[in-house]
Amino acid sequence: MKRLLAALTLAAAVPVLAQDAYVVGLSGAVTGPNADTYAPGVEAVKLYIDQLNKHGGVNGKPVKLIIGDNQGEPSKAAADAKRFVTQDNAVLLVNVGLSSSYGPMVAEAKRARVPLLFAGAACPGEVLPPNPDELLFCSIAAAMKYDADMALRFIKEQSKEPVKLGLAAMAIPVSRAGIDYAESQAPGLGMTPAAKVQIPPATPDYTPYASKIKDAEPNWVFSWAPWVTEVKTFEALRKVGWNGRYIAAALNPAEDELARVRDEGLHGLSVNAMFLENMPVHQQIRDAAKGASLTYPVTQMAEGWVAGMIIEQALKAVAWPPTPEKVLTAMSTLKVDTKGLRGGPIEWNKSNHFRTKQYYRIYRWDAGKKAVTRVQDWTVVDVE
Amino acid sequence: MQLLVNIVVLAAIYALISCGYVLIYRVSRVLNLAHGELMMLGAYLLYSTASLLGDSPITALLMSALLGLVAGILVYLFLMRRMTGEMVLAAVLCTIALGVMLRGITVLIWSAQVRHPLAALGWSNPSLQILGDARISLVNAILIGLTALVYAGLFGFLGFTRSGIRMRAAGQNPLLASQRGIRLHGIYALAWGLSTFTAGLAGMLISMDSSLDGTMVMLGLKAFPAALVGGLDSLAGALLGSAIIAIAEVTLIHYVNPLLSDVVPFIVLLAVLVVRPWGLFGSKEELDRV
Repeated sequence: MKRLLAALTLAAAVPVLAQDAYVVGLSGAVTGPNADTYAPGVEAVKLYIDQLNKHGGVNGKPVKLIIGDNQGEPSKAAADAKRFVTQDNAVLLVNVGLSSSYGPMVAEAKRARVPLLFAGAACPGEVLPPNPDELLFCSIAAAMKYDADMALRFIKEQSKEPVKLGLAAMAIPVSRAGIDYAESQAPGLGMTPAAKVQIPPATPDYTPYASKIKDAEPNWVFSWAPWVTEVKTFEALRKVGWNGRYIAAALNPAEDELARVRDEGLHGLSVNAMFLENMPVHQQIRDAAKGASLTYPVTQMAEGWVAGMIIEQALKAVAWPPTPEKVLTAMSTLKVDTKGLRGGPIEWNKSNHFRTKQYYRIYRWDAGKKAVTRVQDWTVVDVE
Repeated sequence: MQLLVNIVVLAAIYALISCGYVLIYRVSRVLNLAHGELMMLGAYLLYSTASLLGDSPITALLMSALLGLVAGILVYLFLMRRMTGEMVLAAVLCTIALGVMLRGITVLIWSAQVRHPLAALGWSNPSLQILGDARISLVNAILIGLTALVYAGLFGFLGFTRSGIRMRAAGQNPLLASQRGIRLHGIYALAWGLSTFTAGLAGMLISMDSSLDGTMVMLGLKAFPAALVGGLDSLAGALLGSAIIAIAEVTLIHYVNPLLSDVVPFIVLLAVLVVRPWGLFGSKEELDRV
């Protein structure tokens, strides 16, 4: 954290005077409420770019990553974006933060016509097909509609008995929209939505919300929210004696958290392959992390690493000297091999800046093996 | 029955947090807006002592509670002492600055990562069945007991001990108290120490029951209406205010809409302030001075 904050300070103090590098401006929630969800992503992008530069950069030029801490505040995200495009001459903007910081960055990106990559929270609607904004792109794993569809599909496949569904969100717009969507889709799959709670980000005790869900007697609960809310709601449900099954979007901290909670009823819906899979790319991230003294566990680096892969791939296709327009052209027809971190490549085209297929794996704690295990392999969802 | 248990737990949380506001306000007329941050500091201190002394969880707990007390005294000695005799507003602004600084320091030392002090202590938090089918976690049961103990201790301290009576005297008339030989700085330092100690206890127990992250700061603000509803200079008022806010919050979550839980403490607060601006048990003259 000290190194990350030092990097922030240095970035603020030393604007890029000589344009001798590909300049990327990243505004993220390094500190502030819910930073635990986003700061690991920022750290992972930095880790990736540092490795990239160690190996010669892109097209023989280094990539200069300038990081701004927006603390989840729109005004700070706006200031970051303005500085990146006017002072630092960034050719690409990246957001790794709360959805509240999206608006001002989008406005600045449009004003300066600089492409903007969302690599943190949930993918905003204007990026999704069929008519994405030409400047906006997403590497983010979580996507409200597809996540909810997959979760409901999994619940249906796993349940022999009729499903009564509880729903839990954080009281923020994007999370509420996610469970509202799931609530609207559940009846079509023969499920009965039984209870829905929206929990404020700062809550001293989750049991009143858990009691409300428990009293509706659901046998499954779906939560789509920042991980803290998802796991605290689950733990509160267990404290009030609920014995059903629970599925939640497995964001950055999920792998370690599933191991901490050790409950077979808690399922993590993951777009990234967890580190327990031990693929070569996981080893590559572990190796990179060895000399980097990370603040966050290496198991939280997958999401940001994928964003790093995209940045590298996009810049590779940009001839020197780089301009935002050239980067935009490169990103508009991009195909990135994620080396197994995702179920397939991330592919963008004119009508799709998200991905053409979304892949999910589902994990949970296995009491017999005393380890987190995969309960469902990559399942593909077409993105239309 | 579960509803009743939920109300008692939430009321105990608010009561344990809000007594710190009352102690400092009652003695020095300063509204401590860094109370949430000091509460969070107590929880992080527990995480650190638990990580260092994982083999001796009781020692880790006692040490972190003691560090909370010391932290409060140090805040007074190195910061708030210089505000003595200045405008109350200056002191309040000073607590805001203290809060911002503490938030920054905690991120620098412990990062924004979610921490689990209970796991660091090597303990678990089983769910206990009480009152029919109602359940409560072990940590929350301890929190209720400890809140009762803290209030009994504070009532006893302020009512029957020499230091407590001096503290009340300093709060009522600092000039006269000083002329009668009461060492005001010692009294104020003790009040800050006790306030941070109770805030630290609240932070430790809340983080042991669920987890610890930067949002804990906001819990300090959520308990603020409880102190105001009861009357900022009344410990009994803080208890009653906490109970009223908890009843309203839990009932509305359960029967109306969970989204109301964030606003209901402030609706109750506004309703009380319209009818009785000095709070239910607060003293009218003291509020006029503010």
